[in-house]
Amino acid sequence: MFIVGLAVKNLSRYTRRTIITALAIAVGITMYIIVDSLLLGVELESERNLKWYETAYLRIHTTASWEDRLFLPLDDAIEEPLPIIAMLTQRGYRAVGRTRFGATLILNGEEYGEDGYIPVIITAIGEDDGLVYRFGESLAKERFFAPGEMDGLVLGSWLAEDIGAKVGSTMTVSARGKGGFYEAFDAQVVGLVNCPNPNVNRTLVMMDIQAADQYLAMEGSVTSIDIRIPDKLDVEAARKQIQQQLDPSLVVLSWKDLAQDYLALVSAKQGGSYMILALIFIIAAVGISNTMLMAMYERSGEIAMMRAIGMGTGPLWAAFLLEAGLIGLLGSVIGSLFAFVANLYLVEIGADFSFMLRNVDMGFRISGVMYGAWSLASFIIAGIAAVALSMLGAVLPIRRALKGSVVRTLGRQ
Amino acid sequence: MVILDGVSRIYKHGQNIVRALDRVSLRIEDGEFLSIAGPSGSGKTTMLNLIGCLDDLDEGELYIDAHPVGAMSSKEKTAFRRNNLGFIFQSYNLIPVLSAFENVSFALELLRIDHTAIEEQTYSILAEVGLSGLEGRRPRELSAGQQQRVAIARALVKEPKLVLADEPTANLDSKTGEEIIALMKAMNERRKTTFIFSTHDAMVMEHAHRLVMLHDGSVVSDEHRRR
Repeated sequence: MFIVGLAVKNLSRYTRRTIITALAIAVGITMYIIVDSLLLGVELESERNLKWYETAYLRIHTTASWEDRLFLPLDDAIEEPLPIIAMLTQRGYRAVGRTRFGATLILNGEEYGEDGYIPVIITAIGEDDGLVYRFGESLAKERFFAPGEMDGLVLGSWLAEDIGAKVGSTMTVSARGKGGFYEAFDAQVVGLVNCPNPNVNRTLVMMDIQAADQYLAMEGSVTSIDIRIPDKLDVEAARKQIQQQLDPSLVVLSWKDLAQDYLALVSAKQGGSYMILALIFIIAAVGISNTMLMAMYERSGEIAMMRAIGMGTGPLWAAFLLEAGLIGLLGSVIGSLFAFVANLYLVEIGADFSFMLRNVDMGFRISGVMYGAWSLASFIIAGIAAVALSMLGAVLPIRRALKGSVVRTLGRQ
Repeated sequence: MVILDGVSRIYKHGQNIVRALDRVSLRIEDGEFLSIAGPSGSGKTTMLNLIGCLDDLDEGELYIDAHPVGAMSSKEKTAFRRNNLGFIFQSYNLIPVLSAFENVSFALELLRIDHTAIEEQTYSILAEVGLSGLEGRRPRELSAGQQQRVAIARALVKEPKLVLADEPTANLDSKTGEEIIALMKAMNERRKTTFIFSTHDAMVMEHAHRLVMLHDGSVVSDEHRRR
C-alpha cells in the first residue's frame, strides 16, 4: 500500500513532465482507437455493401463456370434455376437468378464527342432482384427497365459520368451469346444508380434478364443464383447446408469467396495500420523511458537512501514500475476520453472522403463518408498496451538506477 | 557491539592503489556516542560505510553483535540494515513528496509491522525529536534543522541498536548543528542507542564520549572522554 501511495505522490512531483508524457501516450491511444474504429467501420460497411450490391450473401454457380470465372462463360450456366430457387425459398432463404456476361458498349461519336468502346460486365436481373439486392433504394435518376424491356440499360452513375452518358443516351451493346455467336443490339440508358458501393457505381451496367435471355439464347438458364440469408445466420453454416442439397456440379460460394481481392486488401491495409500504430507506441515508450531516466537521475540520492535503510530491490522495482504504469494509465484515460469524443463524431457524422473515393479506387466498398464503429476491445487493448509499454519503457532506467553503487551515490551528494 | 579486526578497504584507480582504510581494529561498545574525526580522505566515510554494511571490506573482519558482516550476501546485508541499523545523512535525503510523518513511517513500513503500531511509534518519535504538530508538513515546509530532526526520527523510529551519521551537522548553521548534536546525545542517553558519527566540526567532537581520529586510513588516536 505504501508503495502505491509513494508512486502516486511521485507523479505529482514533476507535474508538467508527467502531463507531457501522458499526453504523448494519450495521442498514441487516440490514434490507435480512431484508426481501429475507422477500419472496423469501413470493414462493416464494405461487408454490408458487398452483400447488398455486389456479391449477395451466397451465390450458386456451376463448378465449371466458377473455374472459368474470369471468362464469364455462358455455356456452363445453370440450366434449371427455378427448382433450386424454389427449394431455397422453402428453406427460408431469398434467391434470384442473374446472368452476368462480358460485353462491349460501342459509343457513337455524334452523341459522345468521339467514337469509342468500353468493355463491361452486364448484369441481367429480373423484377424480383430486390429480394436479394437493394438497388431499388439506389436509383439516382429516372427508372429501372420494365420486365421484358428489350433496350433498357441502367448504369452506375460514375460510369455514366466517365463515358458522358445520360438518361436517354443510346449505345450499341455487343456480346457473345450462349454457344459463342455474336449478338449486337441498340440500347438506351433508362436510369442511373448511385449506391453506397463505389465499385458498383464505377462499373455497373444492368439490363432485363428476359431481354438478355433472348439476345444471348440462354433458354431460361442463368449464370448464377444469388442468395440472401437472414443476418443472424452464419454465412458459412448456411453455405454448407445449401451445398449438401445441391448436385455436385453446382458450387455454393460465400461473399468471402467472391470478394477475395477485397479481403486481401483489408488484411494488407490493417497490417500497414498496425505498423503505424506500433511506431506511435514506440515513440510513447521512448518518451516514458526518457521521463523515468530523468526521474531516476534526479532522485538518485533518495534511491540510495532507500536502499541504505534496507528497501530491497524487489520493492524498489515495484515502486518505480508502478509509477511508470500510472503515467501510462493516466495517458490511457486521457487518450480514451479524446478517442471517445472523436469516435462519437466519426460514428454519428463520419469523415467525408468522397473527394478521394470518386477518383481513386481504394478498394473499400464504402460511400464517400467513412463512419467509425464502437469497439470496446480496442479501448481495452489500448489501455492495457499503454500501461504495459510504459512499464516496459521504464525497465532500462530502473535497472540502471538500481545497478549504481549506494556508497558512490551517497558520496556524490 | 561492533568489532573491527584488521579491517582494510582498498580502492584501485588505474595503477594507483589507495588504502582508504588500512588494517583498522576497533571495538565499539553498546550505547557509545562515538565520533570519527579526521581530515578529508582520512577514511571516516569509508569506515561508516563498512560498519553500515553498505560497502565490502577487502581485509580483516567486521562483527556487529557477533554477526560477521564480511560473510553476508548483498541480500543479507540489506535485511540486516533494514532490521538493525539507522542512518542519518548529511543532506537529510528526505522524500520531498512525503510528509514528515510519512518520511519517518517509511522506515517502519519496510519492516511490515502492524499499521497501528507504525502510527503510534511514528507520532511518538516525532514528539521526541520536537516535531509535534509538524507531522503533516513536507520537507520544503520545514527548516534545515527540522528536516534533520525528521531524518533522526526516521533513523530511530525502528529502535535500532546502532545509528550511523555521516557529517550530520555539515549543512547546518552552528546553532542548529549544536541543537541537532544535543538531540542525538539525548537520544543516545535516553534510548541507549549506539551513535557513530563522522565530523569535521570541533564543536561536534566536543560532545562525543569517544573520539577516534583517523589519518590516511589508520587510527591515530582513540580518546575516551568523561560522560
